[in-house]
Amino acid sequence: MPQFNLYQEEFPPSPLQVTWQEFKLNHIAVIGLYCLIFFVVLAVLGPFLAPFDPLQQHIDSLLIPPSWEPSGGIVHLFGTDGLGRDILSRVIYGCRMTFGISILLVLLALLIGVALGAVAGMSRGLRSSFVNHLLDSLMAIPTLLIAIIIIAILGTGLVNSMWAITLALVPKFIHQTRDFVRNEVRKEYVMAAKLDGASKRQLFFNSILPNMGEMLVVQGTFALSIAILDISALGFLNLGAQAPTPELGAMLYKGIEVAYIAPWNIALPGAAIFLMIVSINLVGDGLRSALRSRLLHS
Amino acid sequence: MNSLCVPLLTRKNYLPYFLCVLLLGGCGDFVQVENDTKGIIYCSEGSPTGFNPQLDSSGTTVDASSHQIYDRLIDFDPVSGELVSALATSWMVSDDGLRYTFQLRKNVNFHSTPYFTPTRTLDADDILFSFDRWRLAEHPFHMVSGGDYPYINSIGLDQLISNITRLNGYRVEIQLERPESSFLANLATDSAIILSAEYGGKLKQSKTKDLIDSQPIGTGPYKFVSYRQDRFIRFLRHDGYWGEENKTEQLIFDITPSSSLRLAKLITGECDVMAFPAHIELDIIRQRKELSLDEKPGLNVGFWAFNTSKAPFDNPQVRKALAMAIDRDALLEAIYFGSAVPAVSILPPTSWAFQGDLKNISYNPIAAKKILLENGIEPGFVMNIWAMPVERAYNPNAMKMAALIQAYLQDVDIRANIVSYEWGTFRGRLKQGGHDSVLIGWSADNGDPDNFYRPLLSCPAIKYGTNRAMWCSPEYDSYINQALQFTDQEERAYFYAKANELLMAEMPLVPIAHAIHYQAYRANLTGLVINPFGGIRFAPVEKN
Amino acid sequence: MGNFVLRQFNLLVLTLFVLSLFSFSLAYLFPGDPLTNLTGIAGSEQADYQLLNDAFHMQGNVLQQYFYYLGALFKGDWGISFSSGLPLTNEISRTLAASIELSTYAFIFSFSLGIPLGFIAGLRHYKITDNVLLSVSVIGYSIPVFWLALIVILLFSLQLGWFPLSGRISLLFDVPLKTGFILFDILLSDLPDKQEAFYDALRHLILPTLSIAIVTTAIVLRITRRSVIETMNSEFIQAAYARGLTSRQVLQHHGIANALIPILPVLTMQFTTLLTNAMIVEIIFSWPGIGNWLIQAIYQRDYPAIRAGMLAVSSLVVILNMSINIAIRLIDPTRGRLEHATI
Repeated sequence: MPQFNLYQEEFPPSPLQVTWQEFKLNHIAVIGLYCLIFFVVLAVLGPFLAPFDPLQQHIDSLLIPPSWEPSGGIVHLFGTDGLGRDILSRVIYGCRMTFGISILLVLLALLIGVALGAVAGMSRGLRSSFVNHLLDSLMAIPTLLIAIIIIAILGTGLVNSMWAITLALVPKFIHQTRDFVRNEVRKEYVMAAKLDGASKRQLFFNSILPNMGEMLVVQGTFALSIAILDISALGFLNLGAQAPTPELGAMLYKGIEVAYIAPWNIALPGAAIFLMIVSINLVGDGLRSALRSRLLHS
Repeated sequence: MNSLCVPLLTRKNYLPYFLCVLLLGGCGDFVQVENDTKGIIYCSEGSPTGFNPQLDSSGTTVDASSHQIYDRLIDFDPVSGELVSALATSWMVSDDGLRYTFQLRKNVNFHSTPYFTPTRTLDADDILFSFDRWRLAEHPFHMVSGGDYPYINSIGLDQLISNITRLNGYRVEIQLERPESSFLANLATDSAIILSAEYGGKLKQSKTKDLIDSQPIGTGPYKFVSYRQDRFIRFLRHDGYWGEENKTEQLIFDITPSSSLRLAKLITGECDVMAFPAHIELDIIRQRKELSLDEKPGLNVGFWAFNTSKAPFDNPQVRKALAMAIDRDALLEAIYFGSAVPAVSILPPTSWAFQGDLKNISYNPIAAKKILLENGIEPGFVMNIWAMPVERAYNPNAMKMAALIQAYLQDVDIRANIVSYEWGTFRGRLKQGGHDSVLIGWSADNGDPDNFYRPLLSCPAIKYGTNRAMWCSPEYDSYINQALQFTDQEERAYFYAKANELLMAEMPLVPIAHAIHYQAYRANLTGLVINPFGGIRFAPVEKN
Repeated sequence: MGNFVLRQFNLLVLTLFVLSLFSFSLAYLFPGDPLTNLTGIAGSEQADYQLLNDAFHMQGNVLQQYFYYLGALFKGDWGISFSSGLPLTNEISRTLAASIELSTYAFIFSFSLGIPLGFIAGLRHYKITDNVLLSVSVIGYSIPVFWLALIVILLFSLQLGWFPLSGRISLLFDVPLKTGFILFDILLSDLPDKQEAFYDALRHLILPTLSIAIVTTAIVLRITRRSVIETMNSEFIQAAYARGLTSRQVLQHHGIANALIPILPVLTMQFTTLLTNAMIVEIIFSWPGIGNWLIQAIYQRDYPAIRAGMLAVSSLVVILNMSINIAIRLIDPTRGRLEHATI
C-alpha cells in the first residue's frame, strides 16, 4: 500500500527546465530542433550513411537526374554531377564539412571573443572607451565583408577562409560579452561578492560567467547560422573550399556550369544549406522567445 | 481593437506600396527589347589580348579583330575552302614559284573614327607597312607590343619572304627564298592582316605607337569603338566598306567566360550568337525552336602533350605508357558527348593528307603500369596536368578532362595535380615550359596539313610557343620540310606518313579528338557561316 | 548636441585613420615584395624598379611612406589596376555607384514591404497572420542569397523568360556615364531611344533587387514587429486607450512614431548587410558593381585593386553608419548609445 504523504510534492523547476517547457510550446521551434538534430547526426555519421565516396567519379553515369525524375535511377538517389559523382554522398559529406567547420569556428570565436570581451568589460577608463568605440564602428562592417578582406590578404583556400570567418565573428562576441559584463557588474549580487573582497578575476569567473550561459547559447546559434552562410558563400565565390572538396558552397559554384541542364546540381546543395540555416534560426528564435517569456513570467 | 486597425491601414496606407510593387513587377511585360534589329550581340568566351591578330593567334583575339576590323590580301571561301580575292583582286605566280605579284583593289576605305581620320584609300604602302612590321626587325613598329609574332614566326613566313617591292600604287611583288606550296594559303590566314600605314605614321609622330594595337584602324566591315576588359567590345558598322553592304549597325562582343552563362543569355535573347556551346548543352539548343545550331567537322585537334624537355617525360616509353593508361573513348564520350571523332594522328580526317590506316594505341592500364615500372617510375609518382581555363573548339572542357585523366592515372599509381591559370597567364607560363603535361589543342588557320605538322611539333615552333611538347626532332623537321617542296598531294602525303610513323613511335603528344565545330545562334539571324579555319565573321550576318 | 556630433566626428576620423593605416599595411601583408605588390613589376627589372621606388617614396621610412600614401589618396590617386591598367579611382567610383544603386532600390523595396508587414504582424501578434508572417520571415532571412539568386534566374529568366539575367542594361544601349546610377544616366542622356533604354534597365534591375531585398525585408519585418509589440504593450498606449481614443487614433498619434523611431538606426544599419549581399549577387547577375569587381581582383591577385577596393567599401560602410548615428540623434536626442540588432 502506498505511503500516505502529508506534504504535496513541489519542486520549483530550475530555470533550464522552465526554458525547455517554454521552448516545447513553440511547435515550429521544436521541428527546427529535430531538423537540427538530424543534421548533427548526419555530420557525425556521414561516412557511414553515404552510399559512395564523394570524390569517386562514375564516368559511365554522368549527370543522372535524381530518382524522382522520370529518367532518374535508384542507384544515385540524388543523381550525379558532371563528373559522375554521387550527389547524395556529396551533400552528406558537404553537410558534415560545412556544419562541422562552422561549429568549430563558432566555438573558437566564442572563446576568443568572451576572453577579450571580459577584459574590455571589466576595465574602465579612457583606453577602454577608446577601443570600445573603435570596435563599435568597425562592427558595422558585415562579417562576410571582413572575411573577404582577410581572404584577400591570406589567399584563397578552405583553411584561410576558416581563419577569416573566425576573425570576423570575434567582434560580435566581444561586444556582447562586454555589454553583458557591464550590466552585471552593476548588479547587487556582484556588488556583494565585491564587498566580500573578491578580485576582478574571481568576480568574473565565479559570479558573472555562470550567468552568461544562456546569452552565449543564443549568440552562438546566431553566429552559427552566420558562419554557415559565410563559409558556403566563400565556397560559392570560389574563395573558400576549392574544387573537389565536398563543401556545399563550392558544390553550388561547380553546379552553375550545368545549371540549365542539371538544375538539381544547384537545387540540392543549396537546399541543404538553406535547411541547415532555417533549423538553426528556428531553434535560436525559439530559445530567445522562451527565455523572454521565462523572464516575463517569473 | 487591433483587428480594427488593420483593414483601415490596408486600405489607406498600404495600397500605394503594393501598387508600387505591382508596377515594378509589371514593367517587365510592357516592352520587349529583344527583337531589336539594330545590333548583334555575340557572347564571346574571353578578353582578347589586343586588337591585332599578327601578335596573338589565339582564337579569342582573332575573333575580335581579324575578320571584323581587318582584311587580308586573299581570303578562304568559308564554304568551299578555296582561295578568293579580298584586298588583292588578282595575283600571279612566276614559273619558278619564287615571285608573286598582287594587284590591289582600288577605293578601299580605312575606318574613320574619333581618333583617326584617313586622308587616302588603301595602296601598296599599306601592304608593305603591314608585312614589314613582322618581317623586318628594323621596322619602326617591329618592337611595338613586344616584337613577337608567334603564328607568323611559327610557320616561318617571315623567313620565307626575301623581299617585298612596290611596283606601283596598286601593285606589289613578293619574292620568296624558296618555292613553298602553302604560301598563298598562309596569306589568307587570320594573322596576315593589312594595317594602315598612314595611321602608323600619325602614331609615330605623336609618339604613341602602342595605340596601333589597342585602338585599331583597318579596312574591315566593322570599326572599333570601345573595349572594357572582361566586359565588352563595341564595334560600329564601317560605312565605306568595300565589300557587300552590311546591314547591321552595331556589333557587340559580350565577354562571358562561362559557357552555361552564354547559353543562358542566348536563351533569354541577351545574346544573338554564342561562342563554343558546351557539348552537353547541344541537345537543349537543338530542342529549342528559337535557337539554331550549325555543325561542321572542324579542322582541329585536341591533345595531351608531354613536356619532353623534362625527365621522365623525355623517355618515349614513359609517354607511351601514359598514353596507354587513359581510355580515350571514355574521355571522348564524357567530354565531347559524341560530337567529336577520336584522333589517331594530329591531322583530322577531313584533311586530304589524312592517313586512314593508322593504328591507335589501345587502353591498357596493366601494361601501362608494367612499362612505367620498367622505366623507373615508382608508384606514387607525382606529375602535373595543366588544363586550359577556357573552352576551345578542340576541347570544350579541359578542366573536366584533366579531372578524368587524374582518375585514370590513379589506377596506374600516379598522382596527378591539376594546374590552371587565367588564359593569358596560362599560355605565358606554358611557353616557358613549366608544365609536365598539358591539355590543349590546335585549330587550323588554313586547310594545309603543314598548318598542323609545323606549328605543333617542329623545332623552331618551341621558340614561338606553339610546340607544347617542347619536342624537337631533326628527322621530323626534314620530313615536313621535304613535303613542302612538292605540290603534288600524293608526294606530300608520303612524307607526312613518314612523320606520322615517327610520332607514333615517339608519342610526344597523345592526340585525343577532332571536335565537330558548332555554332549556336538565335534563329532570327541569317548569314552566319561556320568558318572551318577558325575566326568568326560577322560581315554578312543580319537580324530579322 | 554639438558635443555629440563632435564626438561622432572624431570617432569617424579615427576609424577612417585606422582603415587607411590598415590598407596601407596591406602592401606589406600581401605575400611578396611590397613594391612589386603595388606595381606588378618585379625587382629584376632594375631600371623601372628604381624609378618606381622613387615614385612611391619607398626609400623613406614607413611613416613617410604612409604620409605619401595618405596624400595620394586625398588627391584622388588610388593607384593603377594590374589587370586592366586603368586608374582605380575611376573603376571604383563606377562600380561602387552600380552597387549602391542596386542596394538603394532593394533597400527602398524592403522598407516599403517590411515595415507595413511588420506592423500587421505586431498588431495581431500571436494570431494566425502573425504566425504565418513570422514563419515566412524565418524562411526569408535564412535563404542564402546566392542560392536564391540562382533559383530566381532559373525560374524567371530561363523557364519563364520574363527578365534578362545579366548586366544593368542591354549592351546595345551605350549610355554615357554621368552619375553612375543607370536610371538617372539614361534620363540625363540624349539617346534617341531613351524610353526603351529606361524600360530595359528596369527589367534588368528587377531580379537582382528582388533577390537581395527578400532577406532584408524579412529582417525589417521582424525588427518592426518586435518594436510594435513592445510599444503597443507600453503604458502610454494603455493610457491613450483609457482616454477613449479609437484604435486608429492611438496607432496614428502614438503607435507609429514610437514604434518606428527607436528601431530606425537598426533598420538603416541593414543597408550594410544589403550591400554585402549585393556584392555576392552581382557576380551571379554579372552586375558591374564593386563586389563583382573586387572578387575578380582577388582571383587575379590584383593587389592595388584589392587594397583600394577594400578601403573604399569599408570606408563607405563606416561613414554611412556614422552619419545614420548622427542623423538619428538629431531626430531623437533622447536616445543613448546605439543598440545592435536582434531579430
